[in-house]
Amino acid sequence: MIVELGHYALIMALATSLIQSVLPLAGARIRDNGLMAVAAPAAITSFLLILLAFIALTVSYVTSDFSVQNVWENSHSLKPLIYKFSGVWGNHEGSMLLWILILVFFSALVAMFGSNLPASLKANVLAVQAWITSAFLFFVLLTSNPFNRLNPAPLEGRDLNPILQDIGLAIHPPLLYLGYVGFSICFSFAVAALIDGRIDAAWARWVRPWTLAAWTTLTAGIAMGSYWAYYELGWGGWWFWDPVENASFMPWLAGTALLHSALVMEKREALKIWTILLAIMTFSLSLLGTFLVRSGVLTSVHAFATDPLRGIFILCILIVFIGGAFTLFALRAQTLSPGGLFAPVSKEGALVLNNLFLTTAMATVLIGTLYPLVLEAVTGAKISVGPPFFNLTFGPVMIPLLLAVPFGPLLAWKRGDIWAVTQRLYLAAGVSLLVALAVTYFATGAPVLAGIGIGIGVWLIMGSLTDIALRAGIGNASPSVMWRRLIGLPRSAFGGALAHFGLGISVVGIVAVTAFSTELVANVAPGGKIQSGPFTLEFKGLKPNSGPNYSELQGAFSVSRDGENIAEIVSAKRVYTARRMPTTEAGIMTTGPNQLYVALGDETPGGGTVVRVWWKPWVTFIWFGAIIMSVGGVVSLFDRRLRIGAPARRKAGAAIAEPTT
Amino acid sequence: MMFWVLAAVMTVAVTISLLIPLARHRQTTTQVDDTDAYDVEVYHDQLREIERDVAGGSLSADQAEYARAEVARRLLKASRGENRSVYSSGGLGRIGQWVVILILPLVAVVGYLTIGNPGMPSQPLAARVVPAAPTNGGGDIRVLVAQAEKHLATNPQDGRGWDVLAPIYLGLNRMQESETAYRNALRLLGPSVARHTGLGQALFAQSGGIVTAEVQETFVAAQSLEPDNPLSAYFLALGLAQEGRTDDARSGFAELASNSPADAPWMPLVREHLVRLGGGEDMADQSAMAGPDAAAVEAAAEMSGEERMEMISGMVAGLDAKLRADPDNLPGWLRLVRSYMILGKPQEASDALARALEKFDGANEARQALMDAATQFGLEPKELEQ
Repeated sequence: MIVELGHYALIMALATSLIQSVLPLAGARIRDNGLMAVAAPAAITSFLLILLAFIALTVSYVTSDFSVQNVWENSHSLKPLIYKFSGVWGNHEGSMLLWILILVFFSALVAMFGSNLPASLKANVLAVQAWITSAFLFFVLLTSNPFNRLNPAPLEGRDLNPILQDIGLAIHPPLLYLGYVGFSICFSFAVAALIDGRIDAAWARWVRPWTLAAWTTLTAGIAMGSYWAYYELGWGGWWFWDPVENASFMPWLAGTALLHSALVMEKREALKIWTILLAIMTFSLSLLGTFLVRSGVLTSVHAFATDPLRGIFILCILIVFIGGAFTLFALRAQTLSPGGLFAPVSKEGALVLNNLFLTTAMATVLIGTLYPLVLEAVTGAKISVGPPFFNLTFGPVMIPLLLAVPFGPLLAWKRGDIWAVTQRLYLAAGVSLLVALAVTYFATGAPVLAGIGIGIGVWLIMGSLTDIALRAGIGNASPSVMWRRLIGLPRSAFGGALAHFGLGISVVGIVAVTAFSTELVANVAPGGKIQSGPFTLEFKGLKPNSGPNYSELQGAFSVSRDGENIAEIVSAKRVYTARRMPTTEAGIMTTGPNQLYVALGDETPGGGTVVRVWWKPWVTFIWFGAIIMSVGGVVSLFDRRLRIGAPARRKAGAAIAEPTT
Repeated sequence: MMFWVLAAVMTVAVTISLLIPLARHRQTTTQVDDTDAYDVEVYHDQLREIERDVAGGSLSADQAEYARAEVARRLLKASRGENRSVYSSGGLGRIGQWVVILILPLVAVVGYLTIGNPGMPSQPLAARVVPAAPTNGGGDIRVLVAQAEKHLATNPQDGRGWDVLAPIYLGLNRMQESETAYRNALRLLGPSVARHTGLGQALFAQSGGIVTAEVQETFVAAQSLEPDNPLSAYFLALGLAQEGRTDDARSGFAELASNSPADAPWMPLVREHLVRLGGGEDMADQSAMAGPDAAAVEAAAEMSGEERMEMISGMVAGLDAKLRADPDNLPGWLRLVRSYMILGKPQEASDALARALEKFDGANEARQALMDAATQFGLEPKELEQ
């Protein structure tokens, strides 16, 4: 019965959302406070209803209720309990339900804690959220209902896709969705501001923490997904420029720009239009990502055509929301009062530059992702746009941006002095240059680009440290004063510096792995030896093993360095019984930041086994950097949100009165 | 019934939660919301924050002065109170009430009745499998299998369990599971003739009737344990025939025939092979043939791939036509669905399944058998309305 109650709750939530989309909006227009007040309880009620539906589906998974079609298709009674939970969102229908659950959760948060928002703004924001909720509830109920039933019920389910039976999947999608959907709040605030035709200071104060929270979880989600692909797919790569990855990367790029814009907006009341535009763009890209991943259009444009209902439905949602929001933007943007003025060389100016670079980078990814799809749809020709395209387009856009990053935090608000900043960064520049030269020197034969790349990474790291050091007043204050000022620094300053620091760490990891990793394919018999990096691997042979819902062949390797045995690596080839699907479980040994990665291939007739071994120096820096970035986001999130940026003192002679608001 | 009671309680609770704000604002007629007041509050907070920063040392005195001046300017502008909104509850609020009272239950109930399955109980696996055992007394083989699977899930190292389950899977035509079970039993309990020949049959069935190298290896292993095992002899000879080594195959079958009692159940099949291979006509007894299927399949083995597909398709079409005329034949339907799947025609298979399910509407046991078959063949039965 819980299943049917969940289904009923889901439909009830649609009814509630429909009311929430109309009444508060009408109330704000005709100034009726009763109608506007419906928004908050409706948002909270929708959340409770969808939570009930989600719990009902989870219970069906945990108890292996195969009379629910979705459970039958994606679960198996022998599946370990944790994957019964994660299986709830490890499939199309369930993941859409999770999407909506997070969406209404955020609406409920706005409803509960939005008492410091003007009444009409709050009503409008919640109404816009309800449009999104209603659209997706329609989508789920009409095309992807997780509560479809089977009668009579099959006795056993068809199991979850084995490559998804992993702890990574348990965490990755919820994080990613928290990010995607978190941006919906920014979108709703932007649209509400456009409807109202004004942006208050209270508006900015709300948007920045939401952006931060969404960005933080999205960063962590993408890093998680990348690591998951790295160890589960057995190709040894950590980023494939695959459309599914790009789908999450595009909102991240736009979201990063939005984050910086929102910062200016909060502290300086400038870049209002930019912030609104980026808020709309970021969520639009989140929707586009959902469309790409969920419509089946990526598998093949033709697969999309054979079961068009889902795809066309999301496409309509896409057109209505993105088209509607941009139209509204075109109509209303000029009615918004422009923000504060600033000189081109200033922190504000640097952030505009940052926005331009990030949106351009995002556009290159967008083109690389959509062009093959459009081409296939129009001409039927199948092309794949691989890493070469992105390396040639995305890379050149990012390098100047990365070089410019350390300048941003050091420039003063309103009007800055680029030369003074350059002088203050000389130490960072010097260290980076030294490291770049040292790397080039020691890695004989290594491309000089690697040295430069690592130099850029170190430049980011040193730049963020310089930022903190200067804020603490290094060089012109006594140690005790410095310490006191360091402690007293706002958390957002630490957060920003941490994020830039993490970016530098990731860049170092990316460059090091690209330049210095080695790959080796060998056919080894038991007892055979492979040399990789500084290590010697001895193949100990294959032995069968079986888990709860799979059987596997494990290949053991003992790893030694300079004749000394230091570790054992076990890599496996699994076959999941229910789907007869093979997967690779890579064997990974981590030493410091480096990893030795072993994947088993096929057995050869001579009794040997094909083994692929990668030596990946500094590879963990990639994800470690992303984690530091997320931590920076969290630190910044816990700052008091009252700051304004103090403008720099005007130079003598330039003292002409200028309006600031 | 209980479901509708709970659904009704839910509907009423949600409706009330939305009506409360509407009703509350009936009484307070007008309300002034000074939109700028929110900004004023933010600016006051910012001014306080500047003082805190100055005290903390992260803001110099003249920076603070500039910042203060800027915030003060904004504060002044916001304090003029130009953006005052007056709200009241007009007659439209009453319309709002009716919208809530009518739309909410209407959408929920009509929506649910259209796409829901009211009254259909949850069917957690534990409730279906465990209590069935004592009453059935081991009657339903599928329930027993499910129980054994449950046991093995927690005790995967129980070789005897796998050993018992493997031939049952084989009998149930669940070849993949049978293969796994035999492999586990072999690994845990060591080799035996029964395990090797069972595994060989499971592999043979999965390869679509081809004696692959793997199948051959398995039967060779069985033969090394028991040289006279007729199953091994049969499959090894069949393998030779499929390889085109007619003479070797013929002598293999002949040896099997001479080693077996004349009334052994496999003898007709062996004789028939001997006939096909062009030897031992004297032993052939056409009337004792194992059935047209075996002969036809054997004939098919000698055709080209295209001819073979054509012949099989023709047979399946015949079966299909027969079932259209006389649908009351469950094994026939099962065979038809399976044949279509083997022929790689999932569309026809699911169509046949749908027809069969329609035919056996109300006969739950038959439907269950069909559903299980569908699951086993990896077919997706369309969502079934109650």
